[in-house]
Amino acid sequence: MNAQLPRSKAAKRLALLEKFSPVLAVLVAMAVASIALIIIGKNPLVVYGTMFYFAFGRMDSIANILYKATPLIFAGIACAVGFRVGLFNIGVEGQYLIGVLCAASVGFAVKGLPVYIHLPLAILAGAAGGALWALVPIWLKLKRGVHEVITTIMLNHTAFLFVQYLVAGPLMDKTGGMGPGGVDLRVRTPALLPTARMPDLHGALGKIGIDFPAGSVNWFLILALLAAVGLWYLLWKTPFGLELRAVGHNPKAAETAGIRSNTVIFRTFLLSGAVAGLAGLSDLLGYFGYLDIDFPRNFGFTGIAVALVGRNSAVGIVLASVLFGFLSRGGMGIQIIERVPMETYYILQGLIILCIVMASEVIRRYARAQQKKEEASPNA
Amino acid sequence: MLSPELLASAIRMSVPIIITAVGAIYSERSGIVNIGLEGMMIVGAFAGAAGGVFLGPFGGILVGMLAGAFMALIHAYASIQFKVDQIVSGTAINILAYGVVRFSAVSIFRAATTTPHVDHLPAITVPLLAGIPWLKPVLTHVSPLVFVAFLLVPLTAWIMNRTVFGLRLRSVGEYPLAAETLGVNVYLMKYAGVIISGALAGLSGAYLSVEHTGMYVEGMTQGLGFIALAAMIFGNWKPGGAMLAGLLFGFAQALSFRAVSEAIPYQFIKMIPYLLTIVVLAGWSRRSRPPAAVGVPYERGEST
Repeated sequence: MNAQLPRSKAAKRLALLEKFSPVLAVLVAMAVASIALIIIGKNPLVVYGTMFYFAFGRMDSIANILYKATPLIFAGIACAVGFRVGLFNIGVEGQYLIGVLCAASVGFAVKGLPVYIHLPLAILAGAAGGALWALVPIWLKLKRGVHEVITTIMLNHTAFLFVQYLVAGPLMDKTGGMGPGGVDLRVRTPALLPTARMPDLHGALGKIGIDFPAGSVNWFLILALLAAVGLWYLLWKTPFGLELRAVGHNPKAAETAGIRSNTVIFRTFLLSGAVAGLAGLSDLLGYFGYLDIDFPRNFGFTGIAVALVGRNSAVGIVLASVLFGFLSRGGMGIQIIERVPMETYYILQGLIILCIVMASEVIRRYARAQQKKEEASPNA
Repeated sequence: MLSPELLASAIRMSVPIIITAVGAIYSERSGIVNIGLEGMMIVGAFAGAAGGVFLGPFGGILVGMLAGAFMALIHAYASIQFKVDQIVSGTAINILAYGVVRFSAVSIFRAATTTPHVDHLPAITVPLLAGIPWLKPVLTHVSPLVFVAFLLVPLTAWIMNRTVFGLRLRSVGEYPLAAETLGVNVYLMKYAGVIISGALAGLSGAYLSVEHTGMYVEGMTQGLGFIALAAMIFGNWKPGGAMLAGLLFGFAQALSFRAVSEAIPYQFIKMIPYLLTIVVLAGWSRRSRPPAAVGVPYERGEST
């Protein structure tokens, strides 16, 4: 839209506005969320101040933010890839659970491999699991015309039940953790072999003078950043990325240009599922080392917010993931210090999504008004 | 397998699906996709129970409806005024609902996932008919909202087909530009459609907490909002069809609660409603006929 007026001042201002609209949206969302804080008798400024101070006050807290951001980068990329092609992958939630399930199975069941084979194999299993779980909804969409939103939601519930069944049944660790009266307290898979575990970043970062505590960030953070670079490369440097974006803009026009839309949509959705399958692996292979029924949830839904705030771009997604990592960490802080429910985090998340999409409409209107003005007086 | 008790349970479980699905018709017919129904049900369930604690069951139901309508107002404002992607906005509503409810539960009751127990509405036993053995479980001690749900179906059919409001609502979802040229206030109609759907989703949530369980429990909606949306699609955007689909899904729900089998683990039985929803949509979607302009933002006073 603003490509038509590349040199005008208004266009420059517009581009700047567009770039910073996510920041604006986050601020507006925080202002709106203040209402809830005021209702329960808290001073929003104090609460947000605590949030900030708690989250950034200490090195281990910053490490925790990056740890929380890691799965969100994968989930955000998965959603963004879908958005770019015009699909709404709300099934990241189920896809990463299945991914975690597959990776865990490879991690404890396959024995005798060296780490440089076992670990990549577990990661690949995660991606394959995610892609597999994305196969059904996209097949149903293309072959039977079923909207992907309802099928993926249904499959999210199904995935959770399926994982629950396996973890509490066939895959349960029967070897230990007996509580009083012989009741098994540990509803989880056997521990993953050390060869399938992702090493900590503690050592490597220590060498360059960053003192993150052990057991916080692991190498999945680096993989996540590489995945973000991969997203950028795929979208802007490969023919497939061009096709993907073309289909996302207008499938019919892309078809006229000789692109087989359905094939592109199919492959993109599987790719989205495969990346989604990686989202839970930082927690599984880098932290817990087993899969239990309390495995972290909601990465998929936060991923939607991440993709929207990050405007489906690689840099944006990384920044947005850090933002949500900060909000989540800060949420813990305000719960401990200010006794404000940490669920403020989810209120903020919902509001940020709304504000960000509303902000882009406001900018669109502003741009149109500017355009009209310029058309009216060409010398401006 | 098919006992009167199972039938009664199926009807009880179909009630929230039918109410929400019928509500969804108002929104979709006005051209707005409402994927936030799940969130509106969650808010309705919590607000219903919370209202029930302080105001009694009638007050609770009313508060639940108002809360659902309020969430719908946000969705309407974003998708009508700001023309944002309706699916994105609906998803935001669902996340927001989760946060708002937990926040409120902690703030009011000091417990994140439940409310205290609440009384239910006075139950109704249908005279005479309840004497028939086969109908006894179905018609004894029934929540009044069960009757409300089944009355909503013909009422909605009448509103859609026989009233000026219904005609205008549908015209806005089919061809908003034509409707506007004929003097219909397109935005107003869309607002009305979305808010009615939210109020009904809130009612359905309040039914779950106040009438069905006697308290709010986190996760009690279990995707029913989405299943209701599927029921509406399967019912071809018509109240009668939505009711039949709602009964089918309600039956699957009841089965998943009641069926106990040694051979099949309960998690698989619990999957039945979700898998059935997928199968039904897979078999049906090609033949379904959504309103022509559903999901398309309407720009007032512009012809493009």
